[in-house]
Amino acid sequence: MKAMNRRKLLSVSAVLAVASLAATAVPAQAAEVGVTSSSIKLGMTLPMTGTASLGYNKIPGAAKAYFDYLNANGGIYGRKVTLVVKDDRYVPTEAVAKTNELILKDKVMALLAPLGTANVKAVAASVNPARRGVPVLFVNTGFSGFADAKKYPTTYAVLPSYIMEAKIMGQYIKDNFAGKKVGLLYQDDDFGSDALAGFKTAGVNFAVKVPYASGSQGAAAAAGWITKFKAAEADVVILFGVSSATSAMLGVAAQLKYAPQWMLGSVGGDATTIKLTGVPAGVLYNAIGFSPVPATTDMKDEYVKLFSDIYTKAVPGSTFDLNVLLGMNSAFMAAQALKAAGPNPTRKSLMAVIDSKGSTFANSALVPLGYSKTSHVGLTGYWVGKYSPTGDLSPLGGTYVTYTTDSGAGAVVKSTYVRPAMPAKGLPN
Amino acid sequence: MDFLNTFLIGITAGAIYALMAISMVLVWRSTRVVNFAQAGMALLSTYFGFEAVSKLGSFWIALPVAMVGGALFAALVEMILIRLLVKHSSTGPIAGVAPIIATLGLLGVIRATAAMIWGGQDVRIVGPVSNDGYSINGTTLVFSPLKLLILVTVLVLMLILSLVFQKTNIGLALRASAYAPEIAKLSGIKVDWVRTLGWALAGAAGAVAGMFQTVNGNGTLSPDSIEFSLLLVSGFIAAVIGGLDSLIGAVIGGLVLGLMISFVLMYVSSGLFFIAPFVILLTVLFVRPQGIFGAKAARRA
Amino acid sequence: MHKKQTRDILLFILGGVVLYFLSGMVDELRVYQGASIAVYVIAISSIILLTGYSGQVSLGHGALMAVGAYAAAVARIELHVPIILCFAIAVLAAAIGGALLGAAAARLSGPYLAGTTLALAIGLPSLANQFSLLGGEQGLLFDVGFPPLSLGADFTQYKWFFWIAALAALISMWVIKNILSSRYGRTWRAIRGNEVAAQLSGINIARSKILAFTISAGIAGLAGALLSMTIGTVSPSAFPLALSFSLLTGAVLSGITTLGGAMIGAVVLVAIPEVADAVANRIGSSERVTTNLPGLLVSALLILTVLFVPNGPVEQHRARKARKLTLKK
Repeated sequence: MKAMNRRKLLSVSAVLAVASLAATAVPAQAAEVGVTSSSIKLGMTLPMTGTASLGYNKIPGAAKAYFDYLNANGGIYGRKVTLVVKDDRYVPTEAVAKTNELILKDKVMALLAPLGTANVKAVAASVNPARRGVPVLFVNTGFSGFADAKKYPTTYAVLPSYIMEAKIMGQYIKDNFAGKKVGLLYQDDDFGSDALAGFKTAGVNFAVKVPYASGSQGAAAAAGWITKFKAAEADVVILFGVSSATSAMLGVAAQLKYAPQWMLGSVGGDATTIKLTGVPAGVLYNAIGFSPVPATTDMKDEYVKLFSDIYTKAVPGSTFDLNVLLGMNSAFMAAQALKAAGPNPTRKSLMAVIDSKGSTFANSALVPLGYSKTSHVGLTGYWVGKYSPTGDLSPLGGTYVTYTTDSGAGAVVKSTYVRPAMPAKGLPN
Repeated sequence: MDFLNTFLIGITAGAIYALMAISMVLVWRSTRVVNFAQAGMALLSTYFGFEAVSKLGSFWIALPVAMVGGALFAALVEMILIRLLVKHSSTGPIAGVAPIIATLGLLGVIRATAAMIWGGQDVRIVGPVSNDGYSINGTTLVFSPLKLLILVTVLVLMLILSLVFQKTNIGLALRASAYAPEIAKLSGIKVDWVRTLGWALAGAAGAVAGMFQTVNGNGTLSPDSIEFSLLLVSGFIAAVIGGLDSLIGAVIGGLVLGLMISFVLMYVSSGLFFIAPFVILLTVLFVRPQGIFGAKAARRA
Repeated sequence: MHKKQTRDILLFILGGVVLYFLSGMVDELRVYQGASIAVYVIAISSIILLTGYSGQVSLGHGALMAVGAYAAAVARIELHVPIILCFAIAVLAAAIGGALLGAAAARLSGPYLAGTTLALAIGLPSLANQFSLLGGEQGLLFDVGFPPLSLGADFTQYKWFFWIAALAALISMWVIKNILSSRYGRTWRAIRGNEVAAQLSGINIARSKILAFTISAGIAGLAGALLSMTIGTVSPSAFPLALSFSLLTGAVLSGITTLGGAMIGAVVLVAIPEVADAVANRIGSSERVTTNLPGLLVSALLILTVLFVPNGPVEQHRARKARKLTLKK
């Protein structure tokens, strides 16, 4: 009797084990939302029109260019990756409505690189991707909060936080410009207050701080900022704003022959974008800049070379800039996560694989990624460079020297991170 | 020195607002419409100007091209859109909002069309004279030949317009056509054409504002540009401050707005860019509900 | 009069029952859009009351919605007020704001009022960045909580939003309807018709206009709080100038003098972007075209509406019927 029972139990469990094995072995069965036998669908919301769209509206084209390249080279286990893009005009209400459409109507597997702190926050609160189990990959904001895996369990940051950047800038100032008068231009919202927090941690005292209201950064406003910096006799002026603010500032500075030691934050520091707005390259000369990814003009870099080749072929007439590089980088990272999630990727396995292997994903950045089970922090640092006479950012002394830190009180340390070689042809392996 | 620079920043910004306000006033005087598409029309004219610059190579040829293009487009808008609007919705509560909705719609159409044609391209216009600041005693002023040119142009335009309005009957005809079209018709005024003329003049003035706003900025032009969205709001607020009905009022309104914003940003807080106009407008209208130069009667209409 | 009121109450209850069953039949996306429609119905009726009945134009109702939304969120976060009270506070705060604005507005007319309210719409939301209490650009969380367990385990958050918003919409429509058919409503129409005549017949014009602004603002404040409920947060960028404009648009599409039409305007506001997106994706060739086509379509529709159906579809239909009748005679 007992023996019978045990044998029965054994055979039942054997059948169960075989059945479960079979279930995992059969490809593309019990498929995940957004995953079919031939495709994987991702979704993106960001401003494509309106004043907040300038520059950023190149990101979807960049990500699509990479996915098209990937698809032409076999896709992910034969599946083609498609990207549905919706314009949210940088309004949280729209971001929520469009994200709902993406998840409930277009039925995307995951969201990729949604943009803007207020928008991602509203989506997290209302659409609640965490409760739905929808991954929100590589959000396009430097707000440090999204790295919190407890609060936003399905959301993954990628950009280093504004606090990290300010801390690294602060350290650089203390090391190189001790005793100089420092001025700061910052956006009059969280973007700026995060920066202020970082500079405070780094112990920087400013001779003058000039806030500007987002959307006011025209030539007239910039002339006023300069008057303030001049009055305070600032030797070093940090521009911690968006590209349009940097451009307005440097453009007017050129007219007024105002030339302090400029220091440009990475958000508004892309040389290609700045020069496209008509700022003479000479103004940028000798300015100090920071970036987590290689200089966009550094054609010796294997990623930059490949990505710019792909992009200029896919979107002729459009310039390869920082937004494009970051957009393609996020697409490349998403491709790796999908590949690593195996032949039958699910939302769960996708996130599990980022938690376990994400910190080792190949990508163009020169600083390490910080993903783990407990933290969704993305890139963790910057390299410091100077702008050349032609206005291109290149590393100090010709080699990239990187610094890493955290968004808390941790120290700024020189990084020993060596970027792994790019996988063959820039395809996930 | 700070004070002088702040003053100079304000006066040049104000001069461009004034140009925009002038075109709002011309439209208001001729058709009783607040034209929210004015900045959009200026944008379109500036694109005309850009095409002319890139084909003919000279700002001084492109400026009249933009003006003529802007005037023709504005005249077309008046003949098609505004005439229909007046015919269908000039009575009842809808009369107060219909022009706002229609011109906002027009703004959207212009913006989207421009983005389809020119969007994503590197569109740039170089100014006719240097925008490098003048220096005195080794310090550079926030004032350049270009800014001087802008100020002079605004003055000249205003003088020409006032002269035209005083020496000819156009001003009177405009006002009559707007206030009492029936009586105007009886006294032999070709009301329809007078209205179209008002719009055309406004279109030309707006084109100048758009061209100067572009070259005074960093020279780049985009349908989503911040400079043009500032132009829309500031132009309207300047016109309202000035009294909507008076050309001199528009100029004063523009200058007051430009100067006040400049001084608030300098001496109060530079984060108040969008709050300052509201406070300024409220203060002005509290003292004079019909704007600085508005006639009491205009308010009733 | 008494009979009519009973009929109205019954009608509104019937509406509620229909909505109740509807919310059980459609998918989650439609339920969410239903909640947005209910929010817009409230916001649009506040414009209809102000512009269609009292004859004042406001380009700043988005800002008044922001006042309501922030008031509700601050009450929730700082004072832990029960949610229903949060909505009451939103109404009250926006009404106070509206009364102040109305006092200024009573002296202004037409374009001067439009200019003032426009400046308000641009200036006010950016004030949030000046006070840390208001959470800056990323804003404050506004969480109305989960639906009660008694409604069942599969009762979604969006259905809960929809219920709250739809109930609020029904109640506000009922209240507005009663206000409009009261003495105040008649006074507003008298002023709208002929200010001088109204004044001569002893109506206090300024007071009457301020009252209209106050009530309208209170309703807008409620809509603002509900809007932030649906997106879970309150932030300055949720109340852009475009919101104020689209409310006006919705009111015109509804018929600026037909309260019952508010539904039409709200449905169109919510549906149009989705429809335009679909159309753009079907006919668009390059990305530049598909990105900008929705904006173009919406704007073109706006122009066509004011030109050809200026008084809204309901009024248009009524007018056509009336014309036919007179022709028959």
